[in-house]
Amino acid sequence: MQNTSLQFKKQVTIKLADVRLQDALSRLQSRFVGGRAAVISEIHDLEETRIAAAAIRDHALNNLDYWLQHFEQQATARGAIVHWAETGDDVNRIVTEIAALHNVKTAAKSKSMVSEECGLNDALEEAGVAVMETDLGEYILQLAHEAPSHIVAPVVHKNKEEIADLFAEKHHTPRKTDIAELCREAREILRPAFLNADMGISGANFLIAETGSALIVTNEGNGRLVTTLPRVHVAITGIEKVVPTLEDVTTLLRLLPRSATGQSITNYVSVLTGTKKPEDHDGPEHFHIILLDNGRSSLIGGDMQEMLRCIRCGACMNHCPVYQNIGGHAYGWVYPGPMGSILTPVLGGIENSPDLPNASTLCGACAVVCPVKIPLPDLLRKLREKQMQLGMKSRQETFMLKAWAWLALHPRLYAKATAIGVRMLKLIGGNKKLIHTLPGAGGWTDGRDFPAPAGKTFRELYQQGKHK
Amino acid sequence: MRVGLFVTCLVDAVRPRIGFATIKLLEAAGCEVTVPAQQTCCGQPGYNAGDRKSAVALARKFLNEFEAFDYVVVPSGSCAGMIRVHYPDVLRDDPALLARITALGQRTYELTDFLTHIAMPENIPGKFKGTLTYHDSCSGLRELNIYNQPRVLLANMADVKISEMVESTTCCGFGGTFSVKYGELSTRMADNKCRHITDTHASAIVGGDLGCLLNIEGRLRRNGDHTTRVLHIAEALSGLDEEAP
Amino acid sequence: MNAREKILARIRNTQNPAAVATAQTIASHLAKHPRGPLPPQPNNLLACFKERALKLSSDILETNNINDVPALVAKYLNERKLPIRGVCWPALATLRWNDAGLEIQSHPALPLHNPLPQAGEEANELLRKFNDNDLVGITGAFCAIAETGTLMMLSGADTPATTSLLPETHIAAIDPKRIVATMEDAWDLLRSENKQPPRAVNFISGPSRTADIEQTVTLGAHGPYRVLLILVPINE
Repeated sequence: MQNTSLQFKKQVTIKLADVRLQDALSRLQSRFVGGRAAVISEIHDLEETRIAAAAIRDHALNNLDYWLQHFEQQATARGAIVHWAETGDDVNRIVTEIAALHNVKTAAKSKSMVSEECGLNDALEEAGVAVMETDLGEYILQLAHEAPSHIVAPVVHKNKEEIADLFAEKHHTPRKTDIAELCREAREILRPAFLNADMGISGANFLIAETGSALIVTNEGNGRLVTTLPRVHVAITGIEKVVPTLEDVTTLLRLLPRSATGQSITNYVSVLTGTKKPEDHDGPEHFHIILLDNGRSSLIGGDMQEMLRCIRCGACMNHCPVYQNIGGHAYGWVYPGPMGSILTPVLGGIENSPDLPNASTLCGACAVVCPVKIPLPDLLRKLREKQMQLGMKSRQETFMLKAWAWLALHPRLYAKATAIGVRMLKLIGGNKKLIHTLPGAGGWTDGRDFPAPAGKTFRELYQQGKHK
Repeated sequence: MRVGLFVTCLVDAVRPRIGFATIKLLEAAGCEVTVPAQQTCCGQPGYNAGDRKSAVALARKFLNEFEAFDYVVVPSGSCAGMIRVHYPDVLRDDPALLARITALGQRTYELTDFLTHIAMPENIPGKFKGTLTYHDSCSGLRELNIYNQPRVLLANMADVKISEMVESTTCCGFGGTFSVKYGELSTRMADNKCRHITDTHASAIVGGDLGCLLNIEGRLRRNGDHTTRVLHIAEALSGLDEEAP
Repeated sequence: MNAREKILARIRNTQNPAAVATAQTIASHLAKHPRGPLPPQPNNLLACFKERALKLSSDILETNNINDVPALVAKYLNERKLPIRGVCWPALATLRWNDAGLEIQSHPALPLHNPLPQAGEEANELLRKFNDNDLVGITGAFCAIAETGTLMMLSGADTPATTSLLPETHIAAIDPKRIVATMEDAWDLLRSENKQPPRAVNFISGPSRTADIEQTVTLGAHGPYRVLLILVPINE
């Protein structure tokens, strides 16, 4: 998927004015934020569990080379074929080759954010493979030719009226607005796609090194269908998703659905190991697992490694007051919200996303809910430091920051400058004591007044009081 | 006990009354308050913008000016958080300084945290009468666990009723330079906050960080609300909310 | 270097040597597979399982006699005016479904282990003729998990995964003795009874659902619309 995060500021203006989007986002907030709050307390000792989860992820990442090889060995022993891909294009090439090898004409796909990184669907279509997205949200987006705006609820930006119009137009059926009826219609259209698909494509929430298994969580059941019915199954995931044991993954599973959708557990958790046996009546004969790097390995051992702990629950975006107001598309790539504001620049080039690390108040709501304790605000701040080192900040901003710091290191000049400054601002504020416009501070005064200073600094007044 | 007051650059420049209110509260609680005259800014604007070098210099300056006190009190969760939580990161490359700043950080408190846990005044001199609503500023809440402290103190004032707003812990959109660089977004976040404040019908919105309060007041006034009072917790608790300057 | 070697080399070049675990630590982690923090052990596994399963929109019936299951199933389906045609796992095929007025076929067909077609793509094509017209799927379960009200299903020749997936109604018979407290207990049970996980371990917690449209929960997305759990002692 092309990275358009350079357009961030322009997109913010558009998204803030989009009434339907704003309505949709308010629903996300109440359902997901409230949903998480309702079930996260079921965990006996949440903090202890988060610490354990972070430790599991850290151990896996600190020994990533070992666990990836152990995984490969176990998966291969059970009949899966493990592929390694450096880039999204490599994934596309590998999947296309697998399709050609097994004479695949149609593929049914469950939700995979990693495949969105690669732009897999376009590559397969070009190679003559018809791809059907089967997650309801992703299916809707495929019909509408749109990108997901949330990693868990991809179609959160659309309301049912828009979906009703879309289904009526594309399915040539009478328009329905009842949500259950819309779901039924999609089910009936997609069922033959599952039954007839030559290849199933899925992501993997985790890879389990101990058993060589791919673990997939779904609610709709499409993840089970695409990994059970077609004769070929391709699972695509990032190299960082490996964890050592079944017990380790179980600890993470206590947190993932609760953090994501406010569920104690997803309807289905599938642990898939190897291919079908000759006597089995279902399951794929060919199981390919593709491990994508796409920049992830560059984080290992560095000051951003903690980002690789991420288990893609989406809690950070659900709780982010910026995401809550602009939605996911404004961020310009696959991953939105706080985790995306870090992943997009670190995977796609820091120079291509100048706004993302800065478009946060560092309020910390994301870090509080992160199930694996990623210090998201600290990582955003580190990216800002890197921007500064790379000279990416505007000359005006750098000058202002340096000037302020210089002044703050020279208390006597600081005292004089602030004393003059507050007198001027008081004058501008006038009788109402409000400043309506201020040169250079339009970002503030376009939407807000600035309450005028009292006219003398605290330190002036304090000194006067002492000498009275 | 000897308390050094770090008044913060915003309070110093924009609303000095908060500094005097803080002194009044600390003295009423029996503290001996000193205001080091050379103090300026904690360096958070630069630190959060990626200018680590400036933050290092200002952290050292702070250390030299405040290390001698038993306690340092700050009428801002954001600046207190900078000192307690972030200065150790700022000075991480110098083990000697790191040890000193960590120790000083442990003695540095946000005002309401200090009053409830250390100074424990017997009575609160505030005179505020009526209903107020409290906004929980992000740094104080999430870096210093300040939530109950201001509420406990306000509950000591006989004529105060707290009407909690929806999402009192959601960011108001200030975020320092964010409020200017992403003004439109910041304004929308402030707008949401103002809506929740107005819904409580409280006569005052009270908070612990002047930055957030300026943001909230700025949006309230621009929206035509000239009656809801916007007060720092020190003003409300000290009774200095009525008087100039 | 191929992609595999390049990726592994990059990891090794930059990983923090101080954080790399010793071979001994790793071997011990695999051998002991330690558990993370666990919920408190429930006083009553059955009660806990029922409470959680009901919360996740499963239906529950109980009986002491496995021979009562067909009548319970018939009553459940009739009350909901649901079709009475379906498939069951071979182990349940000897129950008297016809007597209860149900049309339940064994899948795969009895007798078990009938001669398989010759191996190869053609044989797989034959096996792969999934019957999408079965509206009821009746299964057992490997075990059940009290913590979340979850069934644990192991795929196999006589326990096909599709039986709990394709039909609109999934009915599972579970022996209350096979309820364990946590997923960790379920893994240990698996390790003690089978050596390694089968092709698919499916944990099922209620009917399939989606909340993709306006975050409104709708049951029966792509899998079953309803799940009936019948708690009944089963003699192996």
